[in-house]
Amino acid sequence: MSADADLISRVAGGDSSAFQTLVERHRSMVYRVAYQFAGNHHDAEDIAQDVFIKVFRSLDRFRQDAQLTSWLYRIIMNACIDHKRRSRFNANAAFGEEAEQRMLNAPEETPGPEERAYGGEIGQVLESEIGRLPKGQRIVFVMRHHQGMKLCEIAEALGLAEGTVKRQLHAAVHRLRQALRHARVTAGEGA
Amino acid sequence: MVCDRHASGELDLYFYDELNPSDRRTVEEHLSGCSECRAALDELGVIRDALASRPDVSTPASGDWSSFMTRLNASLARPTQGVMGVIGMPMKTASRRPSVGYLAMAALLSLVTLSVALALRKPHVPAASSPTAAPVVVRHLPSAPNDGTAFRAMTEEHFERSKLVVLGLATKNPEELKASDWAYERELATGLLNDTRLYRLAAEDRGLDRLAGVMRDLELVLLQTSLTDEKDPSSIQQIQRLIRRRDLIEKMNVVTTTGL
Repeated sequence: MSADADLISRVAGGDSSAFQTLVERHRSMVYRVAYQFAGNHHDAEDIAQDVFIKVFRSLDRFRQDAQLTSWLYRIIMNACIDHKRRSRFNANAAFGEEAEQRMLNAPEETPGPEERAYGGEIGQVLESEIGRLPKGQRIVFVMRHHQGMKLCEIAEALGLAEGTVKRQLHAAVHRLRQALRHARVTAGEGA
Repeated sequence: MVCDRHASGELDLYFYDELNPSDRRTVEEHLSGCSECRAALDELGVIRDALASRPDVSTPASGDWSSFMTRLNASLARPTQGVMGVIGMPMKTASRRPSVGYLAMAALLSLVTLSVALALRKPHVPAASSPTAAPVVVRHLPSAPNDGTAFRAMTEEHFERSKLVVLGLATKNPEELKASDWAYERELATGLLNDTRLYRLAAEDRGLDRLAGVMRDLELVLLQTSLTDEKDPSSIQQIQRLIRRRDLIEKMNVVTTTGL
């Protein structure tokens, strides 16, 4: 039995300290993904909180033969999609074919690449642009690019067709390319 | 002109190793003769390197997990989502920011208040001598999807009770206030604190940002009041300044007048 599986069994048996150990083992990974998605600490902390609350409340549905990290990723992705920013109501959480076009044309209202490129920090420009992506594109990009999940795994976790996930990734990469070109021009490197 | 392979997203799938071996070979052959696609592939490499250079953020801003764990612990113990065991987490006393300590104390206070309130399970009868008296009752927020009306009614009721307490705090003369009166103000504030926090979270969940903002200010005032453990004119004046600075009474009036 793996260390995680052992901890889960102990939690199920009423050992409350086991859940604390479980959180301590995975909180950095959860927070990292949440921050990559949200781009700020306030929202990242909210998302990470939601993740562990959902984990605690659904431990009885966790299959002992499954990898906890895969299950966690599924919960993280859904927590990111469900998350509403503290500062304002964010309604573009819908997924699926119907919502796809609307999502492609719905940038987040944060500073754009032009402002960010002033300091010549391309990484910062791209990070900012990730924060401006619609939620669907953002979570697919974060899970594929940063976390290295396969597109089929992301599709399964989100309950989407793989083709939809591919289009989300392509749309995200397209936006980042544009931001990169813009940043290079603004920084005087030439396109 | 944009190459079809680039426009179709196949190049992205190649970069992310999402193609089967046959398609991968086809793209590689194409790349040897298409400068546009090679440039596009280079861009993906630049994006990867630029993002890899960004700081790896895997801890809260304070660098300290104690407030995170305290908040998680408090959330798991919240009554609206069912009664659950509280995780035995050691609470660190050292904190880099004062707010971390306040948060930890707030969570602890919430738990204590909730435990006491659940144990007593009856409204507090206000003392006749206090003009700010308001019954303190632990509320269970409506959780059904179509609970807007119930939520509005309960929030308005909570606001009315809280407004009386805030008005009382704002108009007290710190120099003339008796210790027993202050103890009673503290009791009222502590009793309302947990409910305020629950309403604030519920407002955030519902996207009611303005209401959530006022609840946050109210929560802060109640927290400060509940933490001031003995009659101290300077602390009371500080709370009164906080009420004025946050324009809390006016905000509460606006919200209750214009609706939630």
